[in-house]
Amino acid sequence: MLDTLQMLVTIAVIALATFATRALPFLFFGSREPPTMLAVIEKNLPPMILLLLVIYCLKDVQWLTAPYGTPELFTIGVVAGLHFWKRNAMLSIFTGTVLYMVLVQFNVFSFL
Amino acid sequence: MQQKIDNMARNGEEKKGAGDQNKDLFITAFKTTIPVLLGYIPLGMAFGFLLDGAGYHWIYAFIMSLFVYAGSGQFLAVALLSAGAGLTEFAIATLLLNFRHAFYGLSLLEKFSGIGRVKPYLIFALTDETYALLTTTDVPQGSSKSKFYFYIAALDHLYWIAGSVLGAALGSILDLNLDGMSFVLTALFVVLTIEQYFSSKARFPFIAAVGAGALSLILFSSDNMLLASIILGTLILIGKEKSMQRTQREQEMQKIQITEKNQKVQRTEKSQKTEVMEKSQEMKGVSQIQNEIRSINTSIQSVEGKIEEEN
Repeated sequence: MLDTLQMLVTIAVIALATFATRALPFLFFGSREPPTMLAVIEKNLPPMILLLLVIYCLKDVQWLTAPYGTPELFTIGVVAGLHFWKRNAMLSIFTGTVLYMVLVQFNVFSFL
Repeated sequence: MQQKIDNMARNGEEKKGAGDQNKDLFITAFKTTIPVLLGYIPLGMAFGFLLDGAGYHWIYAFIMSLFVYAGSGQFLAVALLSAGAGLTEFAIATLLLNFRHAFYGLSLLEKFSGIGRVKPYLIFALTDETYALLTTTDVPQGSSKSKFYFYIAALDHLYWIAGSVLGAALGSILDLNLDGMSFVLTALFVVLTIEQYFSSKARFPFIAAVGAGALSLILFSSDNMLLASIILGTLILIGKEKSMQRTQREQEMQKIQITEKNQKVQRTEKSQKTEVMEKSQEMKGVSQIQNEIRSINTSIQSVEGKIEEEN
């Protein structure tokens, strides 16, 4: 257990370290022209990172034990299908979340 | 007030004053962030609950969420607190875990340039979810970009603070079954990825993501996989760009032939488009027509791409 001062110092260190990672590119390229290669990367990074975030959300799925990630993959399929079809973000997100909550809370894939 | 009157005089149909416009913009931003609200409340509560369980007052959950504001970073902090780590360990572990955010900033340099005095706050508040919203959501027409971005970032921040304080203060009392609710963030990322797919012609970033993501899932622990996959994916993007630049010279030499072929393709495209238009007019909704045209456009792009590759 840390006392109040230790805790506040620790929080300050974590806060500074976090802010540093976020501010780094802005500090580095604040006064100079970014290289041309960066322009291409800049355009292509968001789609790549977003898909990587989806994959990251699956990092704790146990693929080798039942239910083998079926609730996650099934729900992602429903969300993606719904979004390609209706292209209504709220509808896709909430249908998917409610579906997933039902799937895990009632252990629907327990037969696997 | 004078400005308000001027605005109204200048724009006959525009009846809303500046205050109302701000309110509208705020409501649009709020609607955009609703999925994050539903994701940050249970996640924040989980964090607050953990910190409470480690024996710390809820005020620390508030202070951390206000000044640190990093989901996975704060979970890591609780683990390190329980393990009795030293300050250096806190610093190094946090830097490593959050280094992915440096890549987020790289792709926001242009978007954030000239955004004004909110820039430091936007950089501070750049979580995964806020980054995802800012890179995918269009600013409503005629609205201030800096205000819209600020509303989104600040609302997300507020949800996170609210969730963590709720969790720390009430976590042990409340017995809500929120199992699976944080899937809302997965769903949000899926939807935003599809939106990126619609708004960007580039398809290679998705291939790079699948490759880098799958490889990192196998090779790295779940704590390290996101940073590893982002570095790996960025290297793949750079490699692809370099090899494309190399072949560009050869392509330029055959430019005349490409133009000829493109003209042919454009002709067929036109006939294809008219055909589709006729077909889709029979369909019911306007949205269906738009979808159809969108899918045809993508196939045309891929045809063009193939032809360019052949040359």
